[in-house]
This record gives sequence, C-alpha cells and structure tokens, in this order.
Amino acid sequence: MPGLRDQYAIVGIGATEFSRDSGRTTRALGVEAVRAAMLDAGLGAGDVDGMLSYHGNDSTSSPTIAGDLGIRLNFYMDCSGGGSSTEALIGLAMGAIEVGMCQTVVIFRAMNGYTEARIGGTGRQAPVFRGGSLDAAIHGMHSAGQSFAPSFMRHMYEYGTTSEQVAHVKVAHSKHASNNPRAFYPQRVTVEDVVNSRWITKPLHLLDCCVETDNGVAIIVTSADRARDLRHKPAYIMGVAGRVNKEQPGGYHWTRGPISRVAGHYAAPIVFGQAGVGPEDIEVTGSYDAFTFTTMLQLEAYGFCKEGEGGDYVSSGIIELGGARPNNTHGGHLCEGYTHGIGHVVESVRQLRGQADDYCPNWEQGEHTYDYSEHGCRQVRDVEITMNLGWASPPTGSALIMHN
Amino acid sequence: MAEYLGVRVEVASNDPEHREFLEAAGRGQFVVQRCPECQKLRYPIGSACPFCQSLGYEWAEVSGRGTIYSYEVVHHGIHPSFRPITPYPVVLVELDEQRGVPGPADGLRVLGLLVDAEGRPEDEERTGIGARVQVEFADLGDGLGLPRFRLADEPPEGEVWRYPD
Repeated sequence: MPGLRDQYAIVGIGATEFSRDSGRTTRALGVEAVRAAMLDAGLGAGDVDGMLSYHGNDSTSSPTIAGDLGIRLNFYMDCSGGGSSTEALIGLAMGAIEVGMCQTVVIFRAMNGYTEARIGGTGRQAPVFRGGSLDAAIHGMHSAGQSFAPSFMRHMYEYGTTSEQVAHVKVAHSKHASNNPRAFYPQRVTVEDVVNSRWITKPLHLLDCCVETDNGVAIIVTSADRARDLRHKPAYIMGVAGRVNKEQPGGYHWTRGPISRVAGHYAAPIVFGQAGVGPEDIEVTGSYDAFTFTTMLQLEAYGFCKEGEGGDYVSSGIIELGGARPNNTHGGHLCEGYTHGIGHVVESVRQLRGQADDYCPNWEQGEHTYDYSEHGCRQVRDVEITMNLGWASPPTGSALIMHN
Repeated sequence: MAEYLGVRVEVASNDPEHREFLEAAGRGQFVVQRCPECQKLRYPIGSACPFCQSLGYEWAEVSGRGTIYSYEVVHHGIHPSFRPITPYPVVLVELDEQRGVPGPADGLRVLGLLVDAEGRPEDEERTGIGARVQVEFADLGDGLGLPRFRLADEPPEGEVWRYPD
C-alpha cells in the first residue's frame, strides 16, 4: 500500500445483540447495525455514500439496507463470501474512495446464522449429489469443520500438537467473553471441559467449534482527513491483505503441501510489508476462531511463533488477557457470537479506542480497572497496534493491521 | 437412476468430465486426468492443466494404491444420508503415482470414505496416517461407480499414526 498507510480509518462500529432467536429479518438486523455504526461515528444519512456487504445467499442487499435508512449510494457491492471477507472489503472500500467513486463506506454482515442459514449448512443440504458435491460431499465431507479437520490432524501428526493445547484457545476466549456483557457464551471453561465434550469430527470436540448466532454487525471506513472530524479516535489502517489464496488446483488445496500451512503464510508479507511493522510489534490479535485450531494455524502462519510451535504458543498464556499478546478479547466466534469475522474487527477498534465495553462502569470514558477476573475488565492497557487474521478456509485468508 | 446412500446422484449434461470419471469407476477403473501436453496427472477434475495451462485432457488409469496422508472421523453427521453410518472415517490418500510433484510436499491426494471388506465404515482404531490403502468401488447404478478406499494388506509406511485417545 505505497502511500496509503494511515490514509484511511475505521470511524464507526455497530452491532445488534448476539442471539439464537432474533425473530427478525436480516434486513432488520442489517439496518440496526448500520444505524448504530452511523450514530457511533456521528454520521447522518447524507454522510454515507458507499456500502459493501458479504453473504452466502443468506442476507439482505445494500440498496435495501441503505434505502430503509434514507441513504443514497454512489457505490455498493454485495459480495459472496464468509470469513475473511471483512478485511478484504476494507481494502476494496479504500480503493473505491481512493479513485473517487464515493467518500464514506459502510461494511455490514447481517445473518440469522442460527435460525435461518446455519454455518455448516445443517438442515440445508440438498438431497442430491451433483456438480461440486461430486468431489467432496459425496465422500462424506459436508461442513466447515469436516473440510478443515484434515489440516489440523496433519498438524498433530507433523508437530505433535495436542487437543489439550488448542483447548487453551477456547479457555482464553471464554475468559475474555466472561468480561463481555454481550457475549452469547459468557461462561468460563477449562481444558478438561473442552476435551471431555462430545466428538463432532475427530479431532474436533464440540467445544473446539464456534457458536452459531443471529446478528448484524457494521463498520464505517473513510479517509483519514474526514476521520479526524468525527466522534471517536480513528483506527488508522496500516496494511490490509484480502482473501489471499494458497494454490488449490481443482479447488482442492490438499494436493499442495504442507497442508497444515494456511493462507496467512502468503498474506503475511503483503500486510506486514504495507504496514512497515512485524509480528513483534502487534499488541492484540484477532485470529479467526471458527475452531480452536484455526486460531492457532493462523498465528503460526503470520509468524507469531515458528511453524509447528502453534500448540505451545496458544497454551502458554500469551493469548489471554494479561498475557503478552491477547487474542480475541471479545470472546470471538467461540464465545461472543458468529459474525464471519466482522466482530473481530469491531473489537480491534474498541481496543484501539480504549473503549472495550466490559464491566468497568466508565468504559465509555476509557476508564478501566485492568482487573481481568470474571465480570471485570477486558481492555488491554495502552494498545497502539492491533492485527486481524481473517479465515475463510485453510487456503484462503485475509489480514488487517491498524493503529490509533 | 444413480444413487448413493439413498440419495440421487446427478451429473449435468454439460459436465462430461464427472460423468466419464464416474463411468470409469462403474467399470472398476480409477482414472485421473492427464495433460496431453506435459503428461502430468491432476486430481480432482479441473478445466485446465495447473502445471502448463493446457485445456485438453485424457484419462489415465492409476493403481488406486496409496498411503493415508491425513484423515478425520465424522461423529456428528450433517448430511442426512451419512448420519446413519456415523462414525465414519474420511481419508486423504496420497496416491503412489506422481508423489513429490511439483514440490516435495505435493502429490495426488484423493478424498474418500475408508470402508471395510463389507463396505461399512472402517473401525477408526484401524485408521491412521501412514496406513496403506487400495481403491474399491461402490456401485451407484446406471453404470456409475464411486471410488472409496479400504486398508491394503501390506506394511504401512513407517509407523501408523493415530489420533492419541
């Protein structure tokens, strides 16, 4: 991003509650989230002229959301995609603004991920094998967990990584969620809870898997010049990598090894190169936790530890609040709610503002106790640089580095 | 009508590659595409050669022998047709042909259900990385078949590695 570092910022964040019974349409969820982000930024309908969203044929289009809110758009795209879309769309929003297509872009994800379109496609599987399903589904592979699991099993084989080690990811995120009043699963859990939970797909236990929820989440991207006049301290964008791929001939990344090495391996030089910083400079990470091990594989791929040492890294205490580099301080997809990654970016913005919405009475004023015991604080002290590691699948991922 | 585990199997009329692949399996042959230009094999089906971008292909029969490279055991079935056979192991098999191409960590790796001699899901205690397997074919009807794998009666590559229960 020659010349674009620090030229764009996230200036607004908004979300609905995370539930399993929204009782509302994705249209209503999207409108509420976008409106909340506009109020957060201090922007009116006339101040927003771009909109981006991502979906899996399970959401409401931008013109409908914008129309409900009285917004006239100069630019919009509704892109097909799940996890890792947020960071990619932030880069596209910057490009759209940079070339003059629009000035301020809202990015949203609205989904009834529990009551309508569940993530694994549960309940939506067509009673027929055809087309692409002749390459994987017909062999018994039908969900995200099932298609990701062989990568983790191979990592266990190659490096001796254990279920107990990656269970620490759930333990850490549950600790963080216990200090997040909005988290769907606010209960703290132990390593034993994780490894004693029932099998979903070996090597994944139930508690290795994320929650499924109904929610809408939105963020607003604009230029640094406009950002300075808005309500909050901007979260400046230092670098972004969008949906970087591993080679996957025939749509099958397994033919290229090592299969336990994920797309972040290729995204890392792009995003760190733009930002001019390295892993050692990152203070808070938001590594996508569709499953406990996806967090680990990405932290490894981006160089927060050596290849093969992810199990040690995530079980060392580093990723917990109070540790050297906490991960998913909101509780992530494992505990807060499932947003296809946009919730992780919202949390980075909160941390950079010093406004993690925890149980500290004056969090909105940036006053925190830094006491991370249950129902306490979840703000990391003096955060300056955050990084998001977005995951779609082992061969596809995105990244975003921001500072305040 | 072709079906598998009680579910209809359809191949679109504009998808001759999948039809020919499944028809070969129906004849008891495991075939993969071979590039007529650079002669390299590819799997799964693709519309060009990923090594030289040629559009053409011919079918090459492979031995169907290989080594389990990774696997999983599905306990919580998602697809209604597979729920009755849980738990079942899905294996990623590295075929003996074209190992280490184009790089040392690359190869022709094929997904499949691991089944026993009766065609039932293999016991997970007998499933593991390094175990040798050979292809077999489920009859889908209508002249189509589906490759699956079963354990081969030959020594493993190194020690078989299993998820440590």
